[in-house]
Amino acid sequence: MIPFDMVEPASLQEAVSLLDPQEPTIRPVAGGTALMLMMKSGVFQPTRLVCLHRIEPEHARITLVADGALRIGAMATLRQVEKDADVAARLPVLKRAMRTLSNVRVRNVARVGGALAHGDPHMDLPPVLAALGARVAIAGPKQSREMPLEDLYAGYYETVLEKNELITAVMVPALDGRKAAYMKVTSRTADDWPSLGVAVSFAMKNGTISDPVVVVSAATAKVTRMKTAEAALNNAAPDDASLRRAGDAAAEEAEVLSDAHGSAPYKRELLRVYLRRAVRQALDGSAE
Amino acid sequence: MTEAGRELPRLEARAKVTGRAEYTHNLRLPGMLYGKVFRSTVPHGRLRRIDTAAARALDGVHRVITGEDIRRLIPEPYYGPAFHDQPILALDKVRHVGEPVAVALAADPHVAERAVQLIAAEYEELPAVYDEVAAMRPDIVVHDMLKPAGTFADLKHLKGRTGTNVALDYHLRRGDPDEAFKSAAHVFEHTFKTQQCLHVPFEPFVAMAEPADNALVIHTSNQTPSFVRTEIARLLGWPENRVRVKVPYLGGGFGAKVYVKLEALVAALALIVRRPVKVALTMEEQFYVITKHPTTFRIKSGVDTDGRIVARACEVFWNGGAYADIGPRVTQKSGFTSPGPYDIDNVRIDSYELYTNRTPAGALRGFGIPQLVWAYESHTDLIARELDVDPVAFRRRNILRDGRPQASGTAMKDAAVAEVLETLAARMGWNDNQPFDHGGGAIRRGRGIAIGFKASISPTTSVAIVNVSADGSAVLYTSTVDMGQGSDTAYAQIVAEVLAVKTEAVRIVHPDTDVTPYDMGTLGSRSLFHMGNAVRLAAEDALAKLRALAAEAGLPEGTNYPPAEIFKKRFGMQAGNVIGAASFMPTYKSPDPQTGLSDNVTPFWMIGGAGAEVAVDTETGAVRVEKLVNAADCGRPINPAVARTQLSGAATMQLGFTLSEVMLLDGGQVTNASLADYKIPGIRDIPPMQSELVAAEQHSGPFGAKGLGESGTFGVSPAIANAIHDAVGVRITELPITAEAVFRALRQQAGRPLEDA
Amino acid sequence: MMTTARTIAFTLNGQQVSTMIEPHRNLVELLQRFDLFGSRESCGQGLCGCCTVLVDDVAVSGCLYFAVWVDGKSVTTVEHLDADGTLSPVQQAFIEAGAFQCGYCTPGFILMSHQLLKEHPNPSDDDIRHYLSGNLCRCGAYPEIIEAVKLAAKR
Repeated sequence: MIPFDMVEPASLQEAVSLLDPQEPTIRPVAGGTALMLMMKSGVFQPTRLVCLHRIEPEHARITLVADGALRIGAMATLRQVEKDADVAARLPVLKRAMRTLSNVRVRNVARVGGALAHGDPHMDLPPVLAALGARVAIAGPKQSREMPLEDLYAGYYETVLEKNELITAVMVPALDGRKAAYMKVTSRTADDWPSLGVAVSFAMKNGTISDPVVVVSAATAKVTRMKTAEAALNNAAPDDASLRRAGDAAAEEAEVLSDAHGSAPYKRELLRVYLRRAVRQALDGSAE
Repeated sequence: MTEAGRELPRLEARAKVTGRAEYTHNLRLPGMLYGKVFRSTVPHGRLRRIDTAAARALDGVHRVITGEDIRRLIPEPYYGPAFHDQPILALDKVRHVGEPVAVALAADPHVAERAVQLIAAEYEELPAVYDEVAAMRPDIVVHDMLKPAGTFADLKHLKGRTGTNVALDYHLRRGDPDEAFKSAAHVFEHTFKTQQCLHVPFEPFVAMAEPADNALVIHTSNQTPSFVRTEIARLLGWPENRVRVKVPYLGGGFGAKVYVKLEALVAALALIVRRPVKVALTMEEQFYVITKHPTTFRIKSGVDTDGRIVARACEVFWNGGAYADIGPRVTQKSGFTSPGPYDIDNVRIDSYELYTNRTPAGALRGFGIPQLVWAYESHTDLIARELDVDPVAFRRRNILRDGRPQASGTAMKDAAVAEVLETLAARMGWNDNQPFDHGGGAIRRGRGIAIGFKASISPTTSVAIVNVSADGSAVLYTSTVDMGQGSDTAYAQIVAEVLAVKTEAVRIVHPDTDVTPYDMGTLGSRSLFHMGNAVRLAAEDALAKLRALAAEAGLPEGTNYPPAEIFKKRFGMQAGNVIGAASFMPTYKSPDPQTGLSDNVTPFWMIGGAGAEVAVDTETGAVRVEKLVNAADCGRPINPAVARTQLSGAATMQLGFTLSEVMLLDGGQVTNASLADYKIPGIRDIPPMQSELVAAEQHSGPFGAKGLGESGTFGVSPAIANAIHDAVGVRITELPITAEAVFRALRQQAGRPLEDA
Repeated sequence: MMTTARTIAFTLNGQQVSTMIEPHRNLVELLQRFDLFGSRESCGQGLCGCCTVLVDDVAVSGCLYFAVWVDGKSVTTVEHLDADGTLSPVQQAFIEAGAFQCGYCTPGFILMSHQLLKEHPNPSDDDIRHYLSGNLCRCGAYPEIIEAVKLAAKR
């Protein structure tokens, strides 16, 4: 690894001020597990890292807010999310997803903010949170802003964040009886980056699916909502025919890429099948 | 017997669980430099220019070394066990992506790494060949002229040959296959392929050389210290005794660390800069050192109306990559077993080792056998299926029974083919009269078995020394490398058995060529048999000398005095020692150059097989192995617990080669050179396993034992393919068996082929 | 690029230590300076677990952890588990179950098993696989490793 400087600001605002909107070799580092991989491979060679470990501890807290939503501070470790009692009680789908995300050691160190800001479409947290309707809070030098999580992603490893902006928290609304599931499909070994991630959430009204959210990851260049699949599911009974229609719609809509995890035609077939399985799992909690 | 056959933990167990076991990786020396390697980015090209100025100018860089610098020290800097074809650093030409071209040296490895980024090279690119069958044509030639090392008789005819990529052609003719095919009731012909994959020892290649007074010390993670000494001495033009090679424990080897890998490089670097130099590769760099041969195997069988195989023709193409390494031996040693463990009167084998522009291929846990078993056991299953015969019954009818000659003409002695087959059948419930549950809905189940066999490498030599101290404790000196297979413990058990002491009273001295005697190498499952016999003989020699000492001391013959008392009686105090030494080399007869036949081609046979039950998700092609049964003949195991771990460990490795491991190439560039994208099995990929050592004895082995390191790999891949066929009716003919491959086959079968990417 | 080495002070296997180190060096390199080699960089990607180290009693991948980050923290390596001269129950169980061959990945499996048993004293098979899924054993001693963890849990 090439030598660089590391600064350790004591506050979020100081951290933001140490970043440079024009300088790509200066970057923030939270858990560093993903960033270090890029540095080791030479993809990223920093001149300076702005370490966030010493910023205000509140940014690492998970708090229940009044309307039953959870506010997860960006500096919370993934392991904190996995172990959090409120997450377990209110967002079991998130807790389940954490168990398949990388491994215990990485989750001990990696932070929520880093996992969201990295922009790697293979990561598990963005699709799950996007399906749950999460919004991210972002701090910049002048003002803060907030947006739906899926709007954070502009492309493959690309986000809409400015180089001197930091994610401060992610807000996840209460499920309010909605059903949710995340299917991580690995095609080579059990512990692998997914070939495909499918996250769904929806309400059930009188036996029909209502207000569905369908999010696809890993097979696509970025975490993407599947609007036609959502339309196919909306107001439909969760029977085989409707689920097939939704799967077909998603397979048609998704811009699937070929890579070492499988060809695009194959991953489209996986999407067809796993969208169905995701909805079923959301309904009955089965891990098909 | 009390010590041979005893199940005790490895002697080094405590050192390993406390993290204190000694590996080359740990070693640091005062004044040492780290070398980082600049590698070729083109698969085939003439080296026009190397620009090292920027690297040399970097603060902290000691020196940058190129092939020409090495040529000034070593005029002919080419090495290799079969061909002297591999330059220490590229000269004139590069032949695969990742080939070492230059080395930056610095006291700080990060500085050396940065310097490598500043080196630039220019190549005149040449067309490249990657496929083993395509390489049979001489349009693209990887080496301008072939340079066999002279060690092997069957390579001599290739000396000086130009315009070819064939680094060995082995042919065997037995009976009259043409006539037999003509008169056979049924003829079957299939082609099978295997992928390029690799060993991935977790201690990546690492070596260090240390200039000494008129000598050179090499510390290395290597399986063949004696060979390294000989080869480095040859390169330097020195007598062997000026080169000292030391090897502690290895963090895995699996055949990767045989012969010279980094040793010639560190030796040259250390002599040029006159300082200790360490080169430690990263995981990524391991993808550019040595791999397992990709193969194409065309196999054809004639079967008579009774379901007996009457003829078999095998045409095997081995993709050896850019340098021969030990590939030509794979081609021959494994080549003659390519018809499988079947009693067939008419056999034709043509086996070719080919140069291509890939990372070199060599020995990987099975020395080519798993590639062959993949083909012949898939083929055998297809025949049984086509003839509507139960696959176990078909094998029962055709296997080589004890005493019958194998295709080479060498008899199957102490070869428990039938026992392995029957053990698998029993553990798989094959003999029950219950119908197998094939499942329903999206998930379909199936089962399959496969058996294979291997000859040992021959002729090879092992030498051992047993030193009994005056208190009766013993030290064993051998050049066997314990890379996890448990040789230290097994040898200590053999010594203890002979000397009638406890295994724990025997200490093992690790390979140090100034101290430990010659051994051909820790490879091919040969150690327990070859060195094990040498160790037994050396211990017996020590015992005889102890008895002589007792006689000298006037102790009555036939009484069992403990060694300590003998020494005390003879020398009047705790003094003196007794040194037992022995060499072991089994007899061997080279195959006839015309027919490829020999009636003494191996000192022992290894037999292994597997049975698998799988569940196939027909909607995705995903295969889950629900049960894996492994069986092998290792004679009478010296340490059954360690032996069973070897068996299941080998099967687990082969499970990776079967389902997930593949090196992906794009224009000769490996695109998945990391464990993130080259997927080896983890704890969640392991099916419930049963691993069984069949009751057997190798009469010529030490206390009835023989090697086992590879046998667990033999049957796994075809057993799984056969089980998939049983489950869903599709046949996969190429490894690895990915979910997508199965899905595509299912769609093909359904008449709705999936479009290409 | 010039960078400044900084002084860090931390507890290493129960002892207060300090050293100068630059930000680009990882925890494995730091430990090597103290002649501790039980944590080993192998895959370099946090997947194989050979570099496992406990930082404030939590397992991390030493190859993906900047050395400067242990400033003020407590670091425990495999070499500390038998500090009192007795093997830990996990170490003892790994020996009895024969849960390794080459031994290179073993310290990592042992330290992960320590975190597992601290959090789940009676782990299910699923718990064991979950905690150890980030450790790889190329020798394939997984069945014996699972047996060893169960054996250690009983003690």
